[in-house]
Formats: sequence, structure tokens, C-alpha cells
Amino acid sequence: MEILRRYACDRVGLFFGIILLGFYAVAITAQWITPVDPFETNLSEGLQPPSAAHWFGTDQFGRDTFSRVILATQVTAKITTVSLLFSLLIGVPIGMMVGYLGGIADAVVMRLTDMLLIFPTIMIAIIIVVVVGPSQNGVIIALGLSQLPNFIRIARSAALSVRRELYVEAAVAAGASWPDILLRHILHNISGPIIVKSTLALPGFVIGASSLSYLGLGVQPPTPEWGQMLHEAKDFLTNAPYLIVGPAIALSLFVLAANMAGDSLNESLDPKLKGRRIKRIVPRLTGRIATS
Amino acid sequence: MLKLVLARLAFMVAAGFVLLTFLFCLFHAIPGDPARLIAGDSAPEALVQSIRQAYGLDQPLLTQYTTYMGRVLHGDFGLSNFSRQPVLQIVGPRLLNTAKLAGWSMLLAMSVSLLLGSLSAMYWDRPLDRGVTAFSLVGICTPIFVTGILGIYFFGVHLRWLPIGGMSSWKHYVMPVLTLGLAQAAGFTRMVRACMIDALGRDFITTARAKGVPERTIVFKHGLGNALLPIITFFGLGLGHMLGGAAVAESIFNWPGLGRLMVDSILTRDLPLTQGCIFFFAMTFILVNLIVDLLYRWADPRIAND
Repeated sequence: MEILRRYACDRVGLFFGIILLGFYAVAITAQWITPVDPFETNLSEGLQPPSAAHWFGTDQFGRDTFSRVILATQVTAKITTVSLLFSLLIGVPIGMMVGYLGGIADAVVMRLTDMLLIFPTIMIAIIIVVVVGPSQNGVIIALGLSQLPNFIRIARSAALSVRRELYVEAAVAAGASWPDILLRHILHNISGPIIVKSTLALPGFVIGASSLSYLGLGVQPPTPEWGQMLHEAKDFLTNAPYLIVGPAIALSLFVLAANMAGDSLNESLDPKLKGRRIKRIVPRLTGRIATS
Repeated sequence: MLKLVLARLAFMVAAGFVLLTFLFCLFHAIPGDPARLIAGDSAPEALVQSIRQAYGLDQPLLTQYTTYMGRVLHGDFGLSNFSRQPVLQIVGPRLLNTAKLAGWSMLLAMSVSLLLGSLSAMYWDRPLDRGVTAFSLVGICTPIFVTGILGIYFFGVHLRWLPIGGMSSWKHYVMPVLTLGLAQAAGFTRMVRACMIDALGRDFITTARAKGVPERTIVFKHGLGNALLPIITFFGLGLGHMLGGAAVAESIFNWPGLGRLMVDSILTRDLPLTQGCIFFFAMTFILVNLIVDLLYRWADPRIAND
């Protein structure tokens, strides 16, 4: 609650947070708010420029681009949320366990994540798609697994920071078993920071999902996805450049909002992050600017 | 230092073995019959059976594994399912093309970010700094296929200044390098700015200023010199990240590089080619990581002494 109150004081963060919530509201209600059926083809109305009836124009099959952008919001929100949960549900228990128990398991898991972090996540995701096949579920598994090392590290460092706390020692002294300590004491105390940190990973998930779909390795037509819509629109750049407007704006705005909201949420989790840096730099810089 | 280089090279060889084993398992974990895939969907069963025998796919897994590893050690990655050319012959030139794209983009990203980041730190919290910060934020938030398509539309289709695909003249380089390089520069600039703000706040900067050293020397020699260490790490991490982005950029601009080859081979289910691409990509990442690591130790001898 304290985090939310501090977050509400950050106007820029709040602004982008509301935009992000707006995207999710659109995603949840997508079926009901699309003006036209996004799958309805009408070849006689193909590639029409934007008009009052079709705000973003129509694609080569005469489908309404605006409705498709709205439905794509739902597809993207679903993919990113499910794969984020996937990473959290697998990564957090592993990270927490190795962070608390330490020893060989910790060393092995850390070396493994070190090795995986050498490779860009998009590459790992592409390799996973080779096995699971290009589809919506394939993207979810690929993104979830490729981001797993990051989540293991986040949970591990969070568990490390609390495992020497008095209440943990008290629980150990009282004879609690380690699964009990992990679930009741450690998870309870690190869940807030982990949730906030995972919002910082959201933009990566969104860009990953649309990149895969752009390459043809993700969501398959006719299901709309921003990246996949841009891929289709690229073939009609000469006579229908307006097709790129909708998906490009939606995608960039979603990533921007997720980025800014995540940053602000992270700062409200740890106010020192913002205050400390500025306080330390300001006197030095003002001194410098005065002399130069 | 020599010992370290040797140890790292040994690690690379070991990583290569692990990777090949992983790729072999991957090849066999994929659902579907590989012999049927080579023969085609409508091929008669007798043909599929003969292909199975010719490729050794009817042997026990362990025998297949040892033959595969033996072949790879002789530089034989098999034939592409479609073009029937050796994988190594296809991958080689493609890797070079990717290196050209990534090299120029990296050069652009480094020079732009060092310049903008330093200027931004110099004019901290003034309009120039705000502008640079906004640029880097937009760059970070826009995926390269969005900027790429916008670029193709404005400079290729609308103004007709630049070609939209291929790599036969210097003009073909402009858009891919700008798209990939500037996207990377956006992330780098943020880091350079933070490192420079930190460095410019140190005491030796005040001392230099007190001695009357010109401001330009202070920023670019004393400031940048001391900020360089963390910057090298970010650049190194960024280079790996950019090679990933190159796969997307190559698909946008029809660049005949390894990334596009990999994506195409996955889409056509050409497994030997996919295996080759993944192997060479992964080895490139490991090599880049090794070079950055050595560079870092050279720049900061304190680490080598640990």
C-alpha cells in the first residue's frame, strides 16, 4: 500500500500507468468494443484508405484494421501476461530455493543462468519455437522460458537479502522446516519487490512476442497480432501505407507505457533509487555549472 | 594473461561440445519424422525408408550421435534439405554478411552514444539533455521492425532515395545500419549518460577544473576516461543483444545474413540448416563474450589480480 501511495505521487508514472491500464481494459473488453468483426473479409472493400467507417483503413482482404488492432491488444496482453506468469511460477520457486539453501545447487543454477544470459533472449526464444512450433502457445512457452534466467536471479537475490533476517532465524530456532520457511516467511516478504521488478520485464515480453510474430514464428494469421500485422502491411507499403499506422502506434505506445509505469513503480518501491542519485549529483553539478 | 586466454579457449571448445549435443537432442525432440520431412509429404513409403537408411536414421540413437559428432568435427554439418548444398558453404558467407551489418551498426551505436551521452551529462538537466533523454526513450520503446518499416516507407517508397533490400552497394547499407545502430545507440546513450554523470561528479574533476584545464579536455579525457570501464561492459553486452536484433533487421531489409537464413530455415523446416545456423550464432555469442571479458581485464588490471 505504501508503494502504491508513493506511486500515486509520481505524475508521469501515474499518467503512463493509466494508459497501461487502458490497454488492459481494451484487451479484456475487445470482443465487445470492436466496431466491425475483425475476421470478416470483404474483398470488394480491400485496401481502402482511412474513413469514418474504417478509422485505420482496410487490409488486403477488406478487414477493418482498427478492429484488428483492438483484437491484437487482447492477443498481446494474453501472451505477455501468461508468459510472465509462467516465468514467475517457475523462476521464483527455483531462485528462492537456491538463494535460501545456497551450496552446490546455488552454484550450478547460477552458472547455468550465467551461460544462458550470454545469449539474447530473442535467440533463445527462436530456438524454443523450433521445438514447440510456431503458434500462440509456442510464443508463450518460448518467451516464458527465455526470460526464466532473469526471474531466477531476481528471486535469488531477493531471498539472499532476507535469509539472514531475525524472523527467519527465529523460525529456524522454532524448528520450522525449510519449505515452511520459504513459503511462509521468505515468499511473504519478497513477493512485493518481485512483482514490482517483474513489471520492468513486461516491455521485453511485448517486444519479444511481436518480434516473433513479425518473423512469422509467432501468432499465425488470421489471428491478429501487432508484429504480424506489420509484417503483412509491409507488402502493401506502396499503395496502402496507412496500414502500418495502427499497429505501429499501438505497439510503441504499449511498450512506452509499460516502460515508464514499470520505472516509476520500481522507484516507488525503493525511493532511494531516485532521491539518492539526484541528491548526490546536484550539488556537484550546480558547482560545476556555476564555474563553467 | 596467456593462461587465461587458453583457459577461456578450452571453455569455448567445451561449450561447443555441449551445444552440439544439445542441438542433436533438439533435432530428435522435434515432433515428426525427419526422413518424411526430407522426402516430402506425398513421397511413397519406400522412398522414405531408403532415405531413413541413407541418413542413418534407423540406427540406435547413440550410434547416430557418434556419427554426427564425428562428421561435425570434420567440418561436415550435412546438406541443406532444400538446396542440397553443404550447410557450411551456405552459412559461411551469410555469417560474414551479418558481421558486416553488425560491425557498422555497432560502430555507429558506439560513436553516437559516446557523443550524445557525454554531451547530455555535460549539459545535465538542460534542454539538450532533455532532448537526448527523450530520443533514447523513444529508441528503447520502438521495436526495430517499426522503425525499419517507417524508414522503408519514407526513404524507399515515398522519397525513393534508398533501396529497400539487398546489399550490393553502399546505399543498401544506409537504412539497415541506421535502424539497427540507432536502436542500439538509444540504450547505450542512457548508460553512457549515467556513467558520465557519475564520473563528472568525482573529486578529480573538481581538481582538474581548479587547475584551469579546458572544459572539453575535462569531459572527454578525464571524465570519459574514467567512465569507460562500465561503458565497455555495457557495449559488450549490447553487442550480443544487437546480433539478436540483426536477425530481425535482416528479415526487414532482405539482408542475406545468418539471422534471416535461420528464420527462413525454420519456416521451411530445413533442420540441418537450422542446426548449422544456431551453432554458428551461439559460437559467435560465446566468442564475443570472451573478447569483451579480455578487453575488460585489459582495461581494468585490478580484476586480473583478483
